[in-house]
Amino acid sequence: MTAPGEWASAVCATPSDVHGKGFELSDNQDEMHDPKPNVRQAAASTGRRRFLRQASLAAASMALVRHGAAWPASPVSPASPASPPSPPQSAAPDYRIEIQEIEWELSPRKKIRTSAYDGQIPGRRLDVTEGKPVAIEIVNRLDHPEIVHWHGQWIPVEADGAMEEGSLMIPAGSSTRVAFTPRPAGLHWYHTHAMAERDLKRGLYSGQFGVLHVATPGDPGRYDQQQFIVLHDWEPFYSPSDDGSLMVMYGSGSINGRMLGYDWPIQVREGQRVLFHILNAGATEPHWLALPGHRFQVIALDGRPVATQADVEVLRLGPAERVSALVTMNTPGVWILGEAQQQFLKAGMGTVIEYAGHTGKPLGPKAVKLQWDYRAFGAAAPTRHTPDVILPLVFTSRFRGHGALDEWRINGKSWPATDPIQLTQGLRHRLVFVNRSSDDHPVHLHRHNFELVSIRGNPMSGVFKDVVIVEAGTTVEADLIAANPGNSLFHCHQQDHMDAGFMALFRYT
Amino acid sequence: MKRFLPALFSPAAVLAALPAAILAAAIPACAQNNYEIQVYGAETVAPRTTMVELHSNFTADGQANFVDGMEPTNHAEHETIEITQGINDWSELGFYIFTSERDGQGVQWVGDHLRPRVRAPAKWGWPVGVSLSTEFGYQRARYAPDTWDWEIRPIVDQTSGRWYWAVNPALERAWHGPDVKLGIDFSPSVKVSYDFTKQITGGIEYYADYGSITSIAALHNQQQQIFPAIDLNVSPDWEINFGVGVGPTAATDHWIVKCIIGRRFTWGKKQ
Repeated sequence: MTAPGEWASAVCATPSDVHGKGFELSDNQDEMHDPKPNVRQAAASTGRRRFLRQASLAAASMALVRHGAAWPASPVSPASPASPPSPPQSAAPDYRIEIQEIEWELSPRKKIRTSAYDGQIPGRRLDVTEGKPVAIEIVNRLDHPEIVHWHGQWIPVEADGAMEEGSLMIPAGSSTRVAFTPRPAGLHWYHTHAMAERDLKRGLYSGQFGVLHVATPGDPGRYDQQQFIVLHDWEPFYSPSDDGSLMVMYGSGSINGRMLGYDWPIQVREGQRVLFHILNAGATEPHWLALPGHRFQVIALDGRPVATQADVEVLRLGPAERVSALVTMNTPGVWILGEAQQQFLKAGMGTVIEYAGHTGKPLGPKAVKLQWDYRAFGAAAPTRHTPDVILPLVFTSRFRGHGALDEWRINGKSWPATDPIQLTQGLRHRLVFVNRSSDDHPVHLHRHNFELVSIRGNPMSGVFKDVVIVEAGTTVEADLIAANPGNSLFHCHQQDHMDAGFMALFRYT
Repeated sequence: MKRFLPALFSPAAVLAALPAAILAAAIPACAQNNYEIQVYGAETVAPRTTMVELHSNFTADGQANFVDGMEPTNHAEHETIEITQGINDWSELGFYIFTSERDGQGVQWVGDHLRPRVRAPAKWGWPVGVSLSTEFGYQRARYAPDTWDWEIRPIVDQTSGRWYWAVNPALERAWHGPDVKLGIDFSPSVKVSYDFTKQITGGIEYYADYGSITSIAALHNQQQQIFPAIDLNVSPDWEINFGVGVGPTAATDHWIVKCIIGRRFTWGKKQ
């Protein structure tokens, strides 16, 4: 196996010392760096009972949901109001997360100071099981309040981790405990939901993020190994943008916390099927990922299985988006899985894929057509459902000077003045995202997901997401079945946009 | 602002200009050539990008007589082509072609300059933009007494909300010509502007030449120009600036109309 840094002169800048730790190639591997929890005491004796109870509650709830029966395997939205019970507060936590300031080595020549979870970037992967309650203790060792959001999970407000909904922040130097029952299964994540404002060391500009992998009970896993790939941009700075306002740009990027050439390679064997779970944990930038000589068979978006497992050459991930894709390793060699845009690849956003028995300089993505269409993963037929309620959400911006961030508005108002969006439990709401700005927006709804039903006027179905990129000047329609009462925050996941007002609350009537 | 200024403070030039000045009281004390009237911002042209600018400056009321062998500026139209190539995210190289046109003379080539420039990269996150430009080149003696000269221009600027300011405390030095002995000349310029809308920015630009840094000229021999100016931000690929300048001192052209039109061309794939 080639050690980290041996490719550095070829793909980055300088050779480095060997660091990190390798892993032995074995069948059905399941890897991300240091994935083991420090404390993990699953309540095995009660887990199955809780799961069954949750399942029955889900079934009862689904009976209230109109049109839901025709939808695939898991419910399209949280099956509430009866969320499963939380574990008793007295039980030992399954996981413990410590938020602290660290110095992190992206490469031997690039060290950064940032805040992170448990002294590592990304934070340790939390492996949980759908329907099996989990308790997590969070310790905030920073000098300011923090909050952790469980992105993609259909959980109660108290656990969700968004102060705008009513979740409590963790005061500086304090700790708290959250407990929830993970749902739905798939690739999700946890991250800070604190505002950054103009401080480029806070919010998602920091290292406060990690993978939350919710396994489906009994899933045999039709792959030989799975790999978790977490993208992040570093060294943010403000720069004038093409459209006249300030924007955030970056000096470096990483995959799983290391710049290209400075992490151990992912080792594969010819013929293996590798399931890549990919998360864009960056604050503002969408990323395009390619692996030369290979194609991605997309099996899930934002953790939810797609209707059509289309093969694509390149993946697009907006901030907070996740893609789970199978790659058949049929082109032996040494390759770079990395950003298809050269400026990001050169900034370090790549990792090496090394076939067994192959060495040498890794080859990176060449000119790839940057093309992505959610409809490729949809069902053959458009949605057959008629919405009960139509909710237009119009995105606009207000110029505040070439030396300022734009103010963002939803239906003409900027947070905290935005009007709440009213939901009625059990009804199908058609969210009409109308982007009248010149920026793309990866919009996210907490505690729910929605089914995409049209993009640019083209109907579709079968793709369920909790983040969708609404491109500039376009309209996206998505159906939401209101089934998880309580405040739910809706916002652009671009940190500088949500900091500048791009937020609204969904409320149940 | 490049004006080939050392001639202004040359004793020979002043002496030569004096009779004409006495005969025509409103005439500036000596010749002045305005070829590029611009306060530099700290930002450099992006790599793989070429910026082409046309500077058009018309002296509506300026020096009407030959001074020290130099062409009058009154009713002269100066057209300057500036081509700037971005090298990386912290440097660029500019090239100038200066021309002048007056009645009966057609378009005359005046000279060429080169201007390398470096900046503190934006990723350093400094609270102000900082850049350092140096410029050198040749101009014909008909249009400037010093045929070779050199300039170093520190640039500091900041954009904050709708406000923008930039300061260019430039130093100039003649390499060949009568003003070589005068040493280094101090020519600061300042800009303050406000974004009225996303597309329209209005502000004031101030250009001065105080003479030698070791011997500041008397006020009436200093060049002082104030330009109310407008920047139109119609597209990221275009740069448009328009202003009307007033020169209140005797040594300054009294009225100048300036216009800058620039177009960025990006080469190669953005990937």
